Amino acid sequence: MFIHHNTLHAFEDRPFEEAVVAAGRRLGCAPFLPEERYRTELARGRLTASDVTAVLGEDLGERGPETVAGLISRLELRRLVTLGGIPEESGATLAWRLAESPCLERLRPDAALAAREPAEVRVLFDASLAAIRRAPSPPLATPPRLVRHRDLLLEVHGVDVDELVHPVLIRFCAAYLDQGLAQTSFPGRERGMYTCFLDLYGSPAARLVGSWGPELVALVGSERRSTRSALASIEASLGALGVPSGEWREMLEDTVLALRGFAGMVRQLEKRPDRVPAHELPARLEDFVAVRLLFERAALAHVARTEASFSGPLSELRDHLHRSRLPPAPPSELERAWRLFHLAQLAGLDAAVLEHLGTPEVEALERELCEHDGVERRRILHLAYERHLRHRFYDAVAGHAPDHGPSEPAIQALFCLDEREESFRRHLEEVDEGIETLGAAGFYGVAMYYRGEGDAHPRPLCPVNVRPEHYVAETPADSGIARWERLGRRGAGLVGQSIHVGSRTFVRGSLVALLGVASIVPLVLRVVFPWIAQKLGRARAPLPKPPTRLAVDRDETAPPIGRHTGFTVDEQAAIVDTLLSNAGVGRLAPLVLVLGHGSVSLNNPHESAHDCGACGGGRGGPNARAFAQMANDPRVRRLLAERGRSIDGGTWFVGGERNTSSNEVTLFVLDGVPETHRALLARARRSIDRAREREAHERCRRFDIVPAWFPPRAAAMHVEGRAADLAQPRPEYGHATNAFCVVGRRARTRGLFLDRRAFLVSYDPTRDPSGAILERSLAAVVPVVAGINLEYFFGYVDPVGYGCGTKLPHNVTSLLGVMDGAASDLRTGLPWQMLEIHEPVRLTLVVEQTPERLARLLETSAPLRRLVENRWFVLACLDPDGSTLWHHGSKGFQPYVPERPPATVRGGSVAAYRGRRGPLPFVRVAP
Amino acid sequence: MIIEVSLRLSILVALLAPAALLLAFGLPALLGRPLRETSVGLLTRSAMLVSFAAQLTALALYLGGGGEPEVLSYGAWLGAHEGAFRFDFLVDGAALSFGALSTGICGVVSAFSVRYLHREPGFHRYFVLFAAFALGMTLVSLAGSVEVLFAGWELLGLSSALLVGFFHERRAPVVSALRVFAVYRASDAAMLAAAVLVHHWAGSGSLALVFSNELDGGATLDAGRATIIALLLLVAVAGKSALLPFSGWLPRAMEGPTPSSAVYYGSLSIHAGCFLLLRAAPLFEQSVPARVLTGLAGIATALYATSTARVQVDVKSSLAYASLTQVGIIVTEIALGLYTLAFLHLVGHACLRLLQFLSAPNVLHDLHELENAVLARESHAPIGLPSPRVPRAWYLVRLERGFVDELLDRVVVRPFSRAARLLDRADRVTCELLDRPAPGTARTMERGPADPGTS
Repeated sequence: MFIHHNTLHAFEDRPFEEAVVAAGRRLGCAPFLPEERYRTELARGRLTASDVTAVLGEDLGERGPETVAGLISRLELRRLVTLGGIPEESGATLAWRLAESPCLERLRPDAALAAREPAEVRVLFDASLAAIRRAPSPPLATPPRLVRHRDLLLEVHGVDVDELVHPVLIRFCAAYLDQGLAQTSFPGRERGMYTCFLDLYGSPAARLVGSWGPELVALVGSERRSTRSALASIEASLGALGVPSGEWREMLEDTVLALRGFAGMVRQLEKRPDRVPAHELPARLEDFVAVRLLFERAALAHVARTEASFSGPLSELRDHLHRSRLPPAPPSELERAWRLFHLAQLAGLDAAVLEHLGTPEVEALERELCEHDGVERRRILHLAYERHLRHRFYDAVAGHAPDHGPSEPAIQALFCLDEREESFRRHLEEVDEGIETLGAAGFYGVAMYYRGEGDAHPRPLCPVNVRPEHYVAETPADSGIARWERLGRRGAGLVGQSIHVGSRTFVRGSLVALLGVASIVPLVLRVVFPWIAQKLGRARAPLPKPPTRLAVDRDETAPPIGRHTGFTVDEQAAIVDTLLSNAGVGRLAPLVLVLGHGSVSLNNPHESAHDCGACGGGRGGPNARAFAQMANDPRVRRLLAERGRSIDGGTWFVGGERNTSSNEVTLFVLDGVPETHRALLARARRSIDRAREREAHERCRRFDIVPAWFPPRAAAMHVEGRAADLAQPRPEYGHATNAFCVVGRRARTRGLFLDRRAFLVSYDPTRDPSGAILERSLAAVVPVVAGINLEYFFGYVDPVGYGCGTKLPHNVTSLLGVMDGAASDLRTGLPWQMLEIHEPVRLTLVVEQTPERLARLLETSAPLRRLVENRWFVLACLDPDGSTLWHHGSKGFQPYVPERPPATVRGGSVAAYRGRRGPLPFVRVAP
Repeated sequence: MIIEVSLRLSILVALLAPAALLLAFGLPALLGRPLRETSVGLLTRSAMLVSFAAQLTALALYLGGGGEPEVLSYGAWLGAHEGAFRFDFLVDGAALSFGALSTGICGVVSAFSVRYLHREPGFHRYFVLFAAFALGMTLVSLAGSVEVLFAGWELLGLSSALLVGFFHERRAPVVSALRVFAVYRASDAAMLAAAVLVHHWAGSGSLALVFSNELDGGATLDAGRATIIALLLLVAVAGKSALLPFSGWLPRAMEGPTPSSAVYYGSLSIHAGCFLLLRAAPLFEQSVPARVLTGLAGIATALYATSTARVQVDVKSSLAYASLTQVGIIVTEIALGLYTLAFLHLVGHACLRLLQFLSAPNVLHDLHELENAVLARESHAPIGLPSPRVPRAWYLVRLERGFVDELLDRVVVRPFSRAARLLDRADRVTCELLDRPAPGTARTMERGPADPGTS
């Protein structure tokens, strides 16, 4: 199960720009993209110099126009340095560059100076150096305080204790947490992690875990005799390591972060046992920390003795190492002169000007350069990068005349708010003028534990912050057929299992291996001809899946999980009513499709990361089906009519699920569609079929191996094969490129080509006079949408630190996560193959509502206000009655002045994207 | 005559295709102008297809021509008055079918890799190494002289170690690659020694002498010499096929991209040792001690690997030890003289394990479906925590993979490096003593770099 989540959730109470820098320092990750990357984008026109100027102007405020060193305004200076950049060089590389590269013979190409001959450049550098020598050295940055013994040992002696500890600790944790990958599981796990550790590593065999084995066995032995609890053991370990209580917090944080994947998994199993895949375990973070500290003590004692020739007690090791640390070196004169030299070129200060600079002026310039260092420049560039894209989106949305679509739609289709549905909805509207589409969080208000027919375990299907109370099972409609079907499946399963398990054993393994040549057939089929393999796999099933029904109605039997089995009629009516009001649905069409989504792919440990975020990383089909079943129920309709929402007999709901990877759409029509609606359903199917081919075609423009001339039908076949391809690490691109969210009527975006970048939530401001619906809606939508957006953001900015790197060496561990190769920490976050086409920008949420109402909402809703004011996402609102758009900045809501109206492209969506691979401009699409 | 010529030709094509591939990828990469991904894919697939077809043709010709094993010589690289380094290839059923199998598997895996490594920064490096591997496999399967065998063997070893270290921006893969490389070097030294002895005692590097009794012109090695060569070969095989006591490198080798782990440690490279043992069976038959030792190594490895495999909790280690179990069994079968069984076992296992390794990332999906199929019941009962009765120390031993690496470190590596340091110090001392007469040099020696033995 994979759930999207703000990677830096723990930093959410700080302003975004401050948090990324702080978190970057704490976790060793990048705060923004590298500076060169922004500069490439600058050259490409993805952001412009005027964006940078605007961002700097707003950022500096009154400090902008002030003159620095009597030469140049601060704004201008920072603008030049941001746009031009100063290459970061120090020490030996700088010396090499000065000696070997032509930087002292030619001015930089963007210099505001002219040099007729190389000697003049050298004169300029000498003048910079002379100026620097007149000024005192700037204050030293304090070196990072190292709390962990390991960090100190690494710095002073170049030995990494973690390299001794981690392989053993990783194997121990993975074995303890295993959910069923190993045939023989860890003995006696129910006694808790800490006790298991003491038992396992207290045995004499543990002397062989490594060169530090003897120390470990002795330490564990004494710990065992003391019969301490895990918490007491942590305290004892901190004492033995000589950490004063004032530093405990930092020490423990660092200790946990050193193997953050496993530590986080232990914590997750402790907090949400209901989301554990198979075996509930008494996993506790304190056990993990106690274990880790004991391992570390043993390894430290060994390394201190052998590598650092330190024989005193461990509690004095840190002081001993601190004394051997070298003080940090201040920046050399050459380094400082190098920066000034570049500034002089950018700002057009020639040697004569530099020669006349006094000490305070040089100091002022240097201070300015220190303040506007690499991280700060990247911050400004990043803000400009976001601003540019956001303004293009504002232009498109504000400049788009509302298109209300059909006045009397024949079909309404309700989709998840997912930005991958944007293209599908657009194509559906394009192929069938009579269809109106709507968007809502894809669990459709049905929060439940769900167990499908043929599922071994129930699983929660709802946003991650909701703990469902209801349990719903899928039951076979005809138990006779179902029994045979189940027996057949069980038989096939047992054969599969005996091959899987047997091939790993001694005797059975030999038999399986002798017949192993047969596996050449599936191998070649699935690797070389995946599309055929997929079709064969379909055809192989002897019977169609037997009809089933969902037990959504309340049943007084005790549920296996949750509090109730099924929903009461009252609850069902409330679910239907809430969703329809949230989405602002007035009149209902004769046929209403409710489509959840999920994604099926092979060889993809991150398969469920492509599933529905609003269903907590599950597939939303059952929710859609349950919703349709509720809304069709006459008892529910009677109750609704009493509440003033009448659904007449002419309306029928049909649930369904779209596979976002293979683009196949399943409709659960077996739930009995009335005869009167058959024709309409057939029309819906035809339109969906055409839309899914076109949507596949649009999606394929991002896949390098699909040539631009592919017709829609071939593209549809390609994505089907892709989902069944063992060799395909990118079955789909998931949420990559997501950047916006529009909460409002579809009319405001219908006919706009939004390039699969916008989450679309239906909301009708005219039906929400009190603003209560909006508040409810935002409270549900924002955590899901912002979580997805920020996870992609951080994954792209630092694919190895915040993401989980490339998929290629991933190794599924304990059925809980993946490691890189043979033994690494559990890798969290998104793999690069899902991220590579992303553009890291924070979400911009555009709400169709007046600024006054939104401002009031912000005042009352503290969690929302915290996120908006700390800029974890950007808020804007669109006038329900006009085309004015207000952007929420540091001074509250300010009207946005449109820069350029969106272009209009004729010929449907295909004309807007055909033959182009990269991100596209937002345009109006006309038939 | 026609059959003879076509056979020679198809063997040549079978070898030239991967060699040309290595050249076609290696040269542009060296010049810093790598090919486009699509061309790489096209070239690899066609080269593998050509080589595969050529070996199948050769097999058909060989069987059609009466099925007599023979040595085809394609000349010599250099010759002295008595011996020469010869390009000889041995044509028989085992060689051609193993060659065709390995080329076929390489073809499938290359089709897999082109998509799997799409847009990876190391794409070209991977395919250069892959071409080297394919060439190495063909050379090993068809080798008719010790020189050819050794060249193929080294190509396997080198590409294997470099692919383990494929993700060299992280530390763990590099450390593991170095470990693999070191084990290979140690066992390849045995192979080299065997090659030298074969030359010395047989007067030529022809493997016909050791590999097939049919071609044996009456002159056989005596039992003592056969034992020495057989034992050296056994060490070489044990290194390459991760038999005990060298098994420790196998789980570490899981650092590379999934397809390379699959083709090396699931499918081909791990079986190269078994194949060599099969070829050298006539030699082993002349030496009882060598056969007994081989059998012991095989059965010990199989038992060790199967008990270790059961407690592994990551899918690649679990598969690695599962492979090793079967490799151990195959080796035992060879020692017992069950050659046909061993060969069938080898081929079947290579295919099965390849599929399992390639779909290793699918294990979550697969196990979920299996669990659903097997465990779906009318009523849901929560699954309790199974708590097997296993002695803890025994569990730890298996979890820590029998401590093979640590034992090898304690028994061989650390004493060896201590001895090397000791020798180094002795060397310095002697130098100093010898240089004493010249006072100037003596002083510089004293100021020389610090003795690594004491630091």
